[in-house]
Amino acid sequence: MKLKHSLFTRRQFLNGLLGGWMGALLASFLYPVLKFVFPPTREPDQVILPFADFRDMGPNSVNNFLWGTKPGILRKNDDGAYLAFVGVCTHLDCNVSYLPDQRKFFCACHDGWYDEDGLNIGGPPPRPLRRLVVSIEGEDLIIKREGGERVEDS
Amino acid sequence: MKTGIQSWLDDRFGLSSITKFLREKTVPQHKHTIWYYTGSAILLFFTIQVITGFMLVFYYKPTLEGANESVARIMTEVPLGWIIRSVHSWCASFMIAFVFIHLLSTWLTKSYRNPRELTWMSGVFLLVVSLLFGFTGYLLPWDDLSLSATKVGTDIPRSIPLVGAWVTKLLRGGEDVTGDTLTRFYGFHVSILPVLIFILLGVHIYLIQKQGMSLPIAAENKNDEVRDIPFWPNFVYREMIVWLLLLGALFSLAIFFPPSLDKAADLMAPAPEGIKPEWYFLFLFQTLKIFPAKILFLNGDTLAVLLMLIAGILFFFLPLIDNKPAERKGRIITVIGLVLIVYAVVMTIWSLL
Repeated sequence: MKLKHSLFTRRQFLNGLLGGWMGALLASFLYPVLKFVFPPTREPDQVILPFADFRDMGPNSVNNFLWGTKPGILRKNDDGAYLAFVGVCTHLDCNVSYLPDQRKFFCACHDGWYDEDGLNIGGPPPRPLRRLVVSIEGEDLIIKREGGERVEDS
Repeated sequence: MKTGIQSWLDDRFGLSSITKFLREKTVPQHKHTIWYYTGSAILLFFTIQVITGFMLVFYYKPTLEGANESVARIMTEVPLGWIIRSVHSWCASFMIAFVFIHLLSTWLTKSYRNPRELTWMSGVFLLVVSLLFGFTGYLLPWDDLSLSATKVGTDIPRSIPLVGAWVTKLLRGGEDVTGDTLTRFYGFHVSILPVLIFILLGVHIYLIQKQGMSLPIAAENKNDEVRDIPFWPNFVYREMIVWLLLLGALFSLAIFFPPSLDKAADLMAPAPEGIKPEWYFLFLFQTLKIFPAKILFLNGDTLAVLLMLIAGILFFFLPLIDNKPAERKGRIITVIGLVLIVYAVVMTIWSLL
């Protein structure tokens, strides 16, 4: 039945209403499913390491540390300053290694190269390696995110 | 002659309509008949994968601590474990290889033309699921090679606009590849993908039975001679000969060239040199490798992934695009198909150099 000035029949209206309810019901079931399958991810705000472990590094050498679920690379410069990187290639996420002889970072997956400061200089990597901020406070070596804010590694 | 039990069951199930159908089913014989055998070869390999998969599940442990060790145990301690894993690994390659042959024969003989578009489309889904089986299975031994391949593979969807980062997160179970990824891949490999493949296989095979075997265009126009042979038993016996040959090749390779197992993957270690995905991903791997970091204003890998995505969508809708198969347009599409085959072969060889 359709009223004279109505846009749709009573049946269409009721079917639409029912369909809408069903859709909403389905969405309310789907929401917790989606919430469940995406686990929370926590990138650390900072990592505190005992400085004693890293004090004796030679110039132009690297050491590894754990940056959440990613490998971190700590590099000592020739002048004794420390630089920290997330040791993950910006191309497709492989772990990189440091080659002290060539003073370069290298990703074996697709032949990607970075210079000693983490700048992408060859192969497919689109961006420099992510830098982290290093500071030394007493006996602690503190590594923080650059700018202090959360960086999505997209 | 029906025994009492047979007719009792038939009264309830009504299976006689199916057996009658199979008795009356015929298979056309012409110069392209050989491609019909590829479908049942895939089913044979799939069955072997299911059976050996069930067996491996008894010993495999899908955890960060246990995975590599449990595969090592299968290879060294479990009676005949090495051969079961070897067959599972080789059979995966055989199955994928025959999926490709099956697909290319369909493309080049244009069996997907009206009314078989949906058979092709369900086949494209089957291809995707088969590749996902291969991709998820590759991680499970959890050694350095499989870890790096998974890191790269799960990072690729990230370049898809809007949903990409979520897809990566969904696949990995987090921002990074971790022990959670391993457990999740195991879940995909043994529960989600099997359900999907059974549904898709059901649709695919139903459509083929419903519509009958496709004839090549030349045979359809009566240019070529076609005679029909009964499916049962004539064609099935011929298929069994093919199966026996394939089984011989499969078991020989599995016995003489069992897959290796490296030491357990270290999540923090640099990627080893010479990492490679399974052979059927090599042409994509090489494509990604040669794309420069920047093309105009776009990221190289973003562009590569977008191109692959578009190619995939065109591929899915191929029967609708190739709607005049006997005319000039159809011939151009055949040539494109051949060019793509050459491209894939060249890229694969290049990546092996």
